[in-house]
Amino acid sequence: MRSMIALPYLVLQWLRQSAIGARRRDRTARYLLWSVIAGVANAAMLALATSFVLFLWAVGLWWLGLAMTAVLVVPVIASAAIRLVLVPAGYHRLAYQAALYSRPGPDPAAYALCVAAWAARDGVAVAWVSAQRDARRPLGDAEVAATALLAAGRGDAATARELLRSLAMLVEDHPAVRELAGEWLACDAAERGAWHEPIYPTGEDPRPTGEAVGAPTPRARLSPIDPTRASWPATPLTYLLEGIAARHTGAAGAPSARELWARWLVAPRRRTTRALVVEALAAAAPVRRESPAEAPAAADPAPLPCAVAAHLAIDARPITAETLASAVRAWDAALGDDTTRLWLARRALELDAPLGAVERAIRDVASAVTDHLARVADAAQLGAPPGARGAVGGGLARRLRHGRLDALEAAFSRWAERRHDNTRHPSIDEWREFIALWTAYGAAVAAGGLELRRLAFPHAFSKGSNMAAWLWNKREEYALSHAISRWLLDEALAVGDTEAIELGHRNCELAVPTRLGRIQP
Amino acid sequence: MKIIDNPFFVLGLTADASRIEVEREAQKLLGMLELDFEAARTYDTPLGPQLRTTEMVRAAVATLRDPYQRLVAELWARHAPPAQPEPPPRPAAAPTRDGLRRALGWRP
Repeated sequence: MRSMIALPYLVLQWLRQSAIGARRRDRTARYLLWSVIAGVANAAMLALATSFVLFLWAVGLWWLGLAMTAVLVVPVIASAAIRLVLVPAGYHRLAYQAALYSRPGPDPAAYALCVAAWAARDGVAVAWVSAQRDARRPLGDAEVAATALLAAGRGDAATARELLRSLAMLVEDHPAVRELAGEWLACDAAERGAWHEPIYPTGEDPRPTGEAVGAPTPRARLSPIDPTRASWPATPLTYLLEGIAARHTGAAGAPSARELWARWLVAPRRRTTRALVVEALAAAAPVRRESPAEAPAAADPAPLPCAVAAHLAIDARPITAETLASAVRAWDAALGDDTTRLWLARRALELDAPLGAVERAIRDVASAVTDHLARVADAAQLGAPPGARGAVGGGLARRLRHGRLDALEAAFSRWAERRHDNTRHPSIDEWREFIALWTAYGAAVAAGGLELRRLAFPHAFSKGSNMAAWLWNKREEYALSHAISRWLLDEALAVGDTEAIELGHRNCELAVPTRLGRIQP
Repeated sequence: MKIIDNPFFVLGLTADASRIEVEREAQKLLGMLELDFEAARTYDTPLGPQLRTTEMVRAAVATLRDPYQRLVAELWARHAPPAQPEPPPRPAAAPTRDGLRRALGWRP
């Protein structure tokens, strides 16, 4: 009798796990097929297990029925129970145990930790999850994801976003953890209506042409929602939101209406997501509009009015790289134009202005404009437009480059000082400190261009290499150390530093010990 | 110099205004502000209306008395687009759906 039950149950379990595994590797229409197979297998396992338990109960073996419930029924319903009951109710410990039972793959505690963090509501729960996390060493993707979910729970969505995105840099890869992380990021983007925003990491460089110089490293970059290149596995909800985003952005691989409705059908929370699907299907492909700063330039060819209009456009609307470039171009043209000088000279004469007033006025206006544009560009993390050499463009590039380089070098130096002092932070704090520096470096080089990248890299490489070695040898934080080395190698390749490339290759070829075994990158 | 603080806009004059016109307009505005006339409380700029104070009026007239500073102020005011009685409309932000993350099962 036992084998009559056990064999089909094990076959169904194999089928379910295989379908989920295949689904994690697939983002085509087959995703839906694998989801249906996994769902049917799950339902069949539940029916079989429940029948067996009822049979045992009926023949008086209730104690065996209870044991079989724990062994056969609980793992099948654990995932649904976590999502629908335990997390909403805030039962973090029960959620943790249910996740362990749900057979999420090797190292089930990783997934369980994230689920507990997802369910944690009060200070006691947060302390419990933090203790479980700190007990797990070395640092891996689950610990980072759990910290992110705790941050999300206390309303700090920005930190959660930053940490979850940073998972792309870690070699340890628990599919169940990545699924949760991807779903949170997709839901977060959906809430903010940020359909164009990068979410998923890819193994390739998604930078558009022209952005390549100075942008953060390929490995660390995240692509826009692009199902064909996404490397994290998707939950049915994530898969649906990917489709909705693709419809909103008019992406090439956007699903048809029928396919989008099919995704909606297999995803949870259908009452909530229905409106999103309807809205996405009604959305037209975005139309590229002309840059607002270009309109006045076209209407009025005189250089000075164009420059003032472009300047006003910066104040009137959120600044973009295009409006900044337009303003810089317009000012450089206006202040270098002979008609401007002639007009100034005539008015200086009429007003009885002191000698040299024309040159002084041009200098003062250029300085005031540069100050203003530098302030605005700095706040928006924009770089000086490439190739700008005029009074405003050149000054802006110098201003932005020096300020950012100084701040970056000081931050890397402070980071590396801890190695000399042997000041040890908890593993997660080490990671957060590195992520903060990586973000600052990425923003600075994206804004400052290749020139700033080449100036910033040697210092970052010197400090970062030492920290990576310290974290590997003394702290045994292998995944963290590897992430730093990998980033430094990518940067070395970008700036063409042969010595750093050689060292980076040697460091990155080391097998990384993780809970999922030694990973050979 | 911020364009909204340009002395010609503060005084409500064109860049062609003579020295006498500047002084006369400043005296008039100071009187009106003293009496708290509503018409004197704001002035138009290309970025929409701004609040006017007696300090701003005094600073504007002092700036325009200096030939060099007037030259720079003219450079901005003469080439700026016309002053607007209303602030320019802000571009619409992407629509957000507050609470969607929670509705999809995530906190907060």
